[in-house]
Amino acid sequence: MESRNLCHEWDEINPEDYKGIWVYMQVEDGQIHEASLQLLGPARFMADKLNTYVGAVLIGWNIKHLAKEPIYYGADKVFIVDNEKLKVYYPRVYGNVVVKLARKYKPQALLVGATMKGRELAPFIANSLRTGITADLTNFDVDVENKDIILIRPPFGAWMLAHIRTAHRRPVMGSVRPNVFPLPERNEKRKGEIIEEQVEIEPETELKLVEYIPIVKSEELPIEKAEILVSGGRGLGSKDGFKLLEELANLLGGTISGSRKAVDAGWIPHEKQVGQTGKSVKPNIYFAIAISGAAQHIFGIREAKRVVAINIDPEAPIFENADYGIVGDYRKVIPAIIEVIKEMKK
Amino acid sequence: MIIMPLNMIVCIKWVPNTTAVSIDERTGTLIREGVPSIVNPHDLGALEAALSLKDKYGGTVTVISMAPPEAILGLEHALGMGADKGILISDRAFAGADTLATSYTLAKAIERIGNYDLIIMGQETIDSSTAHIGAQVASWLNLPYVYYVTEISYFEEKKVLRVKRMLENAYEIYDIQLPGLISIAMHTFKPRRVTLENKLRAKSKGAIEVWTNKVLNLDVNCIGLRGSPTTVTKIEFMPKIPRKKEIFKGDDVKEAAKWLITKLMEDGLLKI
Repeated sequence: MESRNLCHEWDEINPEDYKGIWVYMQVEDGQIHEASLQLLGPARFMADKLNTYVGAVLIGWNIKHLAKEPIYYGADKVFIVDNEKLKVYYPRVYGNVVVKLARKYKPQALLVGATMKGRELAPFIANSLRTGITADLTNFDVDVENKDIILIRPPFGAWMLAHIRTAHRRPVMGSVRPNVFPLPERNEKRKGEIIEEQVEIEPETELKLVEYIPIVKSEELPIEKAEILVSGGRGLGSKDGFKLLEELANLLGGTISGSRKAVDAGWIPHEKQVGQTGKSVKPNIYFAIAISGAAQHIFGIREAKRVVAINIDPEAPIFENADYGIVGDYRKVIPAIIEVIKEMKK
Repeated sequence: MIIMPLNMIVCIKWVPNTTAVSIDERTGTLIREGVPSIVNPHDLGALEAALSLKDKYGGTVTVISMAPPEAILGLEHALGMGADKGILISDRAFAGADTLATSYTLAKAIERIGNYDLIIMGQETIDSSTAHIGAQVASWLNLPYVYYVTEISYFEEKKVLRVKRMLENAYEIYDIQLPGLISIAMHTFKPRRVTLENKLRAKSKGAIEVWTNKVLNLDVNCIGLRGSPTTVTKIEFMPKIPRKKEIFKGDDVKEAAKWLITKLMEDGLLKI
């Protein structure tokens, strides 16, 4: 290893001492978040390549009954801290528990699901360990020879992929948006080790959760689970345009969604945004209506089986990224599609 | 009644306007020429939150940015909206920083400003969208922090900030004993307009300071490329998902609709 002068704020470490691929398990409403369990897939792959183990970090209060779940999905070891002081999630308190475990067991990598809480928590952990973190990785590579993990993310818009190494610091940390990796198969026959840890927990004295107000979600399917998505962009011209899209979606048993521009314009809520800064979706059919097709948007629909583009501009990049395209005004094309479907239904 | 005004620091990032960047399909390279840089729009929401707190409770708003010299335009915009002071942290020594080194530099600048009650940031940037810096700065300064804030009120006598934040499935209300750090949920605070009067003040001497590393005097091993644990070792063009690219030929919308429905039914993806 080349010699380098270390920042005086960093502790000296030997990367070779660090073994195991860890995944942080976010507990929400008494269950492990699917975004966490999904990461046991890539963790398993990395661990097998590097001939090491997969560790799951499970912390909270009254969570012992969840300890076997990560094992069923691919973990070899579960590090569990079950403590009443962890009843309420505070990023500094939870973060410091993970930091203490990481200092003790020295994992080579730590992956965190990039849920909203995960995005809040992960950089705190990375910073406390004086290591780097790669946000929203979409892929990874394992350098077996150098026993290193390369995290891959789109760094600027979504045209490019940057390969990112954390060569001299450990753990290598990355966050991953939900549904980038599929949930591994659940196998109750898998065996693993459950390690109950006692760590000293510093209470949060400067932050207090005063109230928790669950958002009552409509019966509507979240867009990442929809089989048919009818999605609108800035070209709709107004919020009213979504009424037509909704009519088509209802007819097909689908759901509406939108581009970032439609969200920015306030026509559709952020939770229905498709794209790199919204959600990745995987419908059977994705209707991109009056969406020009910025790379960030195309990134969010890479898993769609078929993409249908309807746009008045024949030069719109969306046509380059669609299976079927109709050049025309959506105000005429959508009613025609609705009419044809209604006729067929008769 | 004792008035405890809020001294606030807002961090802004000077970013390429990603929506204006396009790709040269032939060479696979980014076309960045003529693409203007702007203040990250979500940071202007954070600045608006700070200015509205100042309107209500009094205090000061200092805007800081770590960026190349041209970002002074961004700080002028912020002062034009009503911020009191701008600090541009700019030095070649800071270049190439990842989020750890960036947050360290910002945290040290904030320490130097001193006497602050509240640090406010945007939820994330439009160019890299990491949302790292808030938590990292809070970590360096050992501050309580809350992300995704949508509403704010302030209990002056106790120096407690009450914030509402929105998660995927819930709202949460927190009390933060100041000093603390928050990030503002995107699209919740609509930035006010720049006024001519404020803009003129932004141009006045001393309104914006430039801090190089001669000013901050940070260990060169903690900043820029050297202070960054992560390095980009390779950039590749993102593989395109193969699509059929069949375009309906003709003007009859009814025929187009029939063509589309038939295609989707043939693919076995649509049952009517």
